[in-house]
Amino acid sequence: MGMDFYFLSLLLLIIGGIVSIFAKEEHKMKICSVFSGLCALLLLKPALISLYTGQIFSFEFSLGIFQKITFAIDSLSAFFLLVISVMCFIATIYANGYIKPYLNKGLNTSSHSFFLMLLIASMLSLVTAQNALFFLIIWEIMSLSSFFLVIFEDNKKEVLNAGIKYLIYMHICVIFLILAYAIASIASNSFNFTDFINALNQNRHLANIVFLLSFIGFSTKAGFVPVHNWLPEAHPASLSHVSGMMSGVMIKTGIYGILRTLFIIGLPSKLIVYGILILSIISALWGVLYAISAHDIKKLLAYHSLENIGIIGIGISVGMLGMMWGNETVALLGFMGAILHVLNHSIFKMLLFFAAGSVYNKTHTKDVELLGGLIKKMPYTSVLFIIGSIAICALPPFNGFISEFLIYAGMVLGLFGGNIASFITMVVAISALALVGTMAILCFTKVVGISFLGNPRSEFSQNVNSDSEKVMLIPMGVLALFTLLIGLFPQFIATLTLTPVLNILHLNTVSAEVFSIFSLMALISISCFIFIIILFLIAGLRFVINKKTRQYSTWGCGYDKINPKMQYSASSYAGLLISTLKPLFKRVLHIKKPKDLFPQNAYYEVKIEDIEEAYIVKPLIKLDEKILAKFERIQNGNIQQYILFGLVFLILMIIGLIFIG
Amino acid sequence: MTTLINILILLFVPFLAMGVIKKTKAFWAGRKGAPLLQPLYDFLRLMKKETVYSTTTSWVFKLAPVINFAAIIFASLFVPLIKGYAILNIPFAFIVFSYILGLGKFFSLIAALDTGSSFEGMGASREACFSTIVEPAFFIVMASVVALTKITSFENLKYILYNSGIYGILIVVLAVLALFIMLLVEGCRVPVDDPNTHLELTMIHEVMILDNSGFDLGLIVWGSTIKMFLLEALIASLIIPSNIPFIAYITAFLAIIFLISVIIGTIESSIARFRMTHVFEFIFIMSIMALLILTLTTYRIYGI
Repeated sequence: MGMDFYFLSLLLLIIGGIVSIFAKEEHKMKICSVFSGLCALLLLKPALISLYTGQIFSFEFSLGIFQKITFAIDSLSAFFLLVISVMCFIATIYANGYIKPYLNKGLNTSSHSFFLMLLIASMLSLVTAQNALFFLIIWEIMSLSSFFLVIFEDNKKEVLNAGIKYLIYMHICVIFLILAYAIASIASNSFNFTDFINALNQNRHLANIVFLLSFIGFSTKAGFVPVHNWLPEAHPASLSHVSGMMSGVMIKTGIYGILRTLFIIGLPSKLIVYGILILSIISALWGVLYAISAHDIKKLLAYHSLENIGIIGIGISVGMLGMMWGNETVALLGFMGAILHVLNHSIFKMLLFFAAGSVYNKTHTKDVELLGGLIKKMPYTSVLFIIGSIAICALPPFNGFISEFLIYAGMVLGLFGGNIASFITMVVAISALALVGTMAILCFTKVVGISFLGNPRSEFSQNVNSDSEKVMLIPMGVLALFTLLIGLFPQFIATLTLTPVLNILHLNTVSAEVFSIFSLMALISISCFIFIIILFLIAGLRFVINKKTRQYSTWGCGYDKINPKMQYSASSYAGLLISTLKPLFKRVLHIKKPKDLFPQNAYYEVKIEDIEEAYIVKPLIKLDEKILAKFERIQNGNIQQYILFGLVFLILMIIGLIFIG
Repeated sequence: MTTLINILILLFVPFLAMGVIKKTKAFWAGRKGAPLLQPLYDFLRLMKKETVYSTTTSWVFKLAPVINFAAIIFASLFVPLIKGYAILNIPFAFIVFSYILGLGKFFSLIAALDTGSSFEGMGASREACFSTIVEPAFFIVMASVVALTKITSFENLKYILYNSGIYGILIVVLAVLALFIMLLVEGCRVPVDDPNTHLELTMIHEVMILDNSGFDLGLIVWGSTIKMFLLEALIASLIIPSNIPFIAYITAFLAIIFLISVIIGTIESSIARFRMTHVFEFIFIMSIMALLILTLTTYRIYGI
């Protein structure tokens, strides 16, 4: 019965996509949101049943030579189904408002709405596919449909460049996945994940190789360092609801993949676990560092996805370490924190992308330095952005804190884990997470303070006269409410993550450890309420006592010809940290110094490049070009020669077959 | 009973400790100095005064002092005071402690940027930057303490000195130094920051609150005295044995708080604040202390 609901919802998405092609431009997004809303509603039932009872819905069919192709909703799938369907529904509502300025401009909105629905459908089917071949096909559909969404504004050169970069990264990712599944299916003589389990359990070496390969593949999608470079390009290039969906939901399919692999293969070797932990720490630090240096608001948020994926990765590896030590509490805390952070990140990252989109729609710039003073012109967007910032900085009483707290708790308990290596790793991870937290505060105080507060820094924000429409504000408000609710009542929301985690750990019963974790969360929830009571008491006191107020201009140190250009800028706010950590950035300077007695046209521009891209990826591409240039002769446009190549290839194949066979 | 005394201590001792600092500075300068409770009188005076808001500022500026103060008060509930007992004793308290202070810091930073003044932006930038060095070091110290005592709440502090032999003594000495540096940074004292200077360009925390006045300024001042007191209390609970009688504990506790205040006052009277580049180096000393503590802890537990 559950699968009927599931397939019906997929069908609805496809129908919605096709109908929206034929609809008027104004109505396309409405159709999309109606159909994705219905889909979310339909999926709610099987997903929740599977999450709370652990029931597995499955559907099996055969297609030609492929026997037993299974689509199944187990608890892990159900969790992701819930996140994907609900979040995408919210995104499509927001899209109604966001897309308005793009309508009737000759842009291909039909393909946009169709691929939007296809992306949702492919993500939903990806998390239920239990067959490697179908998994890869759906994976490819997902990558391609999101590629078409990225290149929506294909008349812009940087958008196309970003799109192509994204496409290349996604195909590097899929190569590793194909390799992994090819090895696993040769070993098991089947494409089914369930058969992989038996085959790989007998051969742990092979299992480790498969785990490593699929981790590389999935981490490209999720955005771990060093395969992260598509993120900071693709997100600024695409529309805000698309970047919200991609960052909030789509990159989580990479995390799903890692968890599913863990589920199939079981624990990989010690070396891989520690490797993933270190890679996650590096990703988190890398993301937040470059976010501080970036002043394009969407690029900055894209780098923060890197940071949060790193945090999720830390949680997963803490969970795996817990499994390795046989320490159930550490494993539970790590995985629960990671899976809860998947949900939390999708909520606050969407909120932030939507708010950034709302700002972009009104000001037509993404440059933080050119904004300012928006809190008076766009009050609602500003409040929502501030809420999102607090949540992403993992500050209580919002949701980010809860998942990071669980991961911290896992790491702290992991300190007693056993050997010296684990002790040092845990301490390093704890301090790294603390560093990430404080740097995130620096980064988001920069964005909030420079772009929303103070006086308008340029005409871009000077000319704004109203806040965004309700259809954009309401989805954002709902997301903001989610962040607060999860922060205040973590013990109820975290029950959603319990069954998937127990399944990953292959536990059947709810043990005393689980109760202690939930009572810990209840304690945090009570503490948050105490904080709120204190806050209200002091705020009340302020209203009672502080009655005399006066308005005056900001203290200018005695100087009275102050203009908005004299405000502190984002580059100088971040400058102190960036200049302290100079070797980690590649700074490209463009300076024209003032000359002569009457100087004209002087400027100073700093561009910060990702060192991984500048020193590893670009040299690799150059090398690649050099080698491939030698083969240019082959591509000469002469059809007769191409046929000859084909013939030579065939002959070689036949000779090869004769010798091998 | 303990809770009641804890609350009383929280209300009055921070002001007294601040008074002791001022008195010490007056002593070294050869002055008689203001009465010990002068900070309290100053606070009450500020409460009565008119508040001036800049026309540039928004609700963020008005809300920030309240949130910051509430965060500090909330954080103080987790800190062990008399007999090493906190008012609210929860596991993993140090995480909640530093994250809630982070919330306060977040708001005070954006409030500084809300004024649109370049001075305040500069102060905010420095404050944000310094805390990126302080927090990880603090977490390393706390993780080591947790590993040594196998207790995750703040109450673990009192067990190190007496249960870990020679390592315990060394670790406590280092931890006291690390927390003292943290105290100087968070409390904005010389040599990191000079609370008395009038030169905006060299200030950190003081420059962030240039535009605050009246009730708001009062809350900020009170909040920062409590914040300093909390770190002093952490140091005190590292040192004092918990099995001594109640009265003796209170005496020792107050003695340590006031001794730290005297030391801060003496430092402020004897050296000038560092240049901004040297401040970084100074704060990095805390990280080095933290790493030394980590090394010693590893030796103690795994005994290589």
